Amino acid sequence: MTSTQERIAIHRSLVAVVDDDESVRESLPDLLKEFGFATSTFSSAEVFLASDCLHETRCLILDVGMPGMTGPELQQELIRRRQNIPIIFITADRDKTICARLLEQGAVGCLFKPFSDTALLEALNAALRVS
Amino acid sequence: MPRTALITGASRGIGRAVAKRPAADRLWLRRVVNALPGPVWTALPDGYIDFFNRRWCEYTGLFVDQACGRGWHTIIHPEDLPKLVARWRSIVASGEPGDMEARLRRFDGEYRWFLISANPMRDHAGQIVKWYAVSTDIDDRERAEEKLRRSEAFLAEAQILSRVGSFSWLVETDEIRWSEQLYRIFEFELGLPVTLDLIGSRVHPEDLPLMSDMIEKAHRGVSDFACEHRLLMPDHSVKYLHLIARGSRDNQGRKEYIGAIQDVTQRRLSEEALGRARSELAKVARVTSLGVLTASIAHEVNQPLSGIVTNASTCLRMLSADPPNVDGARETARRTIRDGNRASDVITRLRTLYSKKDLVSESMDLNEAAREVTSLSLGDLQRNRVILRHELAEDLPPVSGDRVQLQQVILNLVRNASDAMSAVDDRPRELLIRTERDEGDRVRLSVKDAGAGFKPEATERLFEAFYTTKSDGMGIGLSIGRSIIEAHHGRLWATANHGPEGAFGATFSFSIPSRRESVADVEAPANQTDPATGAAA
Repeated sequence: MTSTQERIAIHRSLVAVVDDDESVRESLPDLLKEFGFATSTFSSAEVFLASDCLHETRCLILDVGMPGMTGPELQQELIRRRQNIPIIFITADRDKTICARLLEQGAVGCLFKPFSDTALLEALNAALRVS
Repeated sequence: MPRTALITGASRGIGRAVAKRPAADRLWLRRVVNALPGPVWTALPDGYIDFFNRRWCEYTGLFVDQACGRGWHTIIHPEDLPKLVARWRSIVASGEPGDMEARLRRFDGEYRWFLISANPMRDHAGQIVKWYAVSTDIDDRERAEEKLRRSEAFLAEAQILSRVGSFSWLVETDEIRWSEQLYRIFEFELGLPVTLDLIGSRVHPEDLPLMSDMIEKAHRGVSDFACEHRLLMPDHSVKYLHLIARGSRDNQGRKEYIGAIQDVTQRRLSEEALGRARSELAKVARVTSLGVLTASIAHEVNQPLSGIVTNASTCLRMLSADPPNVDGARETARRTIRDGNRASDVITRLRTLYSKKDLVSESMDLNEAAREVTSLSLGDLQRNRVILRHELAEDLPPVSGDRVQLQQVILNLVRNASDAMSAVDDRPRELLIRTERDEGDRVRLSVKDAGAGFKPEATERLFEAFYTTKSDGMGIGLSIGRSIIEAHHGRLWATANHGPEGAFGATFSFSIPSRRESVADVEAPANQTDPATGAAA
């Protein structure tokens, strides 16, 4: 795949954001749009699972700690449903052991909040290469 | 019976002894002897018992002629008879007055102890003409003595088993008496005269201040006292003793302490092991809770920080686009500011954990609060061999405040003071809690220690959160303490001790308004800034 083709693929991709924190749901879509992605945001794992976006999503940016179903639980649920969506976890807790476990379970990236735009873009590129 | 002539009657016996007297005299004497309220008998110079009076016959249930000669042997307890006969022979042989003891059988079969005192009667030439003997019932005394011997034996046994010794101490003359077990505990030779110097030679050098404190209390006449101290034995082993004493007056009205000392070495050693395990656990718990605390602070702060970074990044990207997206950039900049404020709110929330609006305000007596705290920490203080003194002002006005929070501050100051002296061995570990009226209708409480103190330049750092000089401390105590006192419109400060009597250690004090002033103050705005520290109250 050439770099031009890659860029076209990226531009068509839908990135879903699932986080209970409103400031993330507000700020992240604008940055993702600046990167050229289409985005959709969800305040909980349950809302995301019930949505129409599930099958179109090319990458999932997922908060670890949420009330109700947690990020890792959603990851397990997607594995159970054989929905192979690349996941980038984001978390406010700097716990490396949880992060390592999530990567073992197949996550593409794990970012500690606050994260830089370049770190996010690298993780997104890696995720889209996987898919 | 060998002397058949004499067994017919008492009158014959008396007749033979006082043969030269007129019959009227003999009759009169017999009446007198019979009238005596105690058992009496008479014997010939050779020891042959020839007469028993009426009281004797009533007691034993024998007739006179049954008892004379050896007849009386039948009412002597078989165990006592050989000794009694031998003793009587020796008295007769000596010709001197003498006492005998034996059990005599009463008419109903019960044996009772008697003291039998025999006295010779002599004629003008000094020849013994007759023996007279009086018997006294000493059974009750004998039983009481037996009981006493038994209870003494019991007591001694109990003292050995329970490792408790007892003592009495006449304060004026320093006359000290010890039970045997106390000699064993101190490992002194039994019977060695006990003096304060002798005791002092065994007391652990570090605990001598405790001993002089106790002596001083006794001379002041406190009603009772208790203390724990150590002994340093000649083999360098250490014993832990628990002493309690109660003041009373002896029969001459002198101040006397009766007390008990228990050897609690075994208990103390296991307590210490337990204490070490507990403090290790507490340390782990503190570190854990600190970890939990910092993690939750990090989480709370990282959420808005994440928004700030993302928004600022987006803002830059929008501005550097061609053409720049100014409206979008303005919106993301606005969000950046909002998230910045959110982060600041998190910090404010942490600070207001001990803010004024959380205070439960009630009228309270600071003396009482201080006494409660010290009684709670007495065990810890004693374990650290701290000598606690109170100087609580009697006329202290009540203050208005949150009792639990103020007690936390006092407890924290007391613990700090105690901890500050844990390495002090060359002087008494004295801790003084003082309350007094302060200027401006305020009340002051201060805690003075004899510890290592602090350098002047450290004075303000002491109150910074996470500043600590202790290996196991978190350093939050004093900073929280200051927040609490400031929420009470008060001031918490530290001074290094000066002067010849208090050249060591530090004094931590707080001063808060008394109730009348603070009631008026409560109506003042809640979020005013303290001009002294520049910090929000």
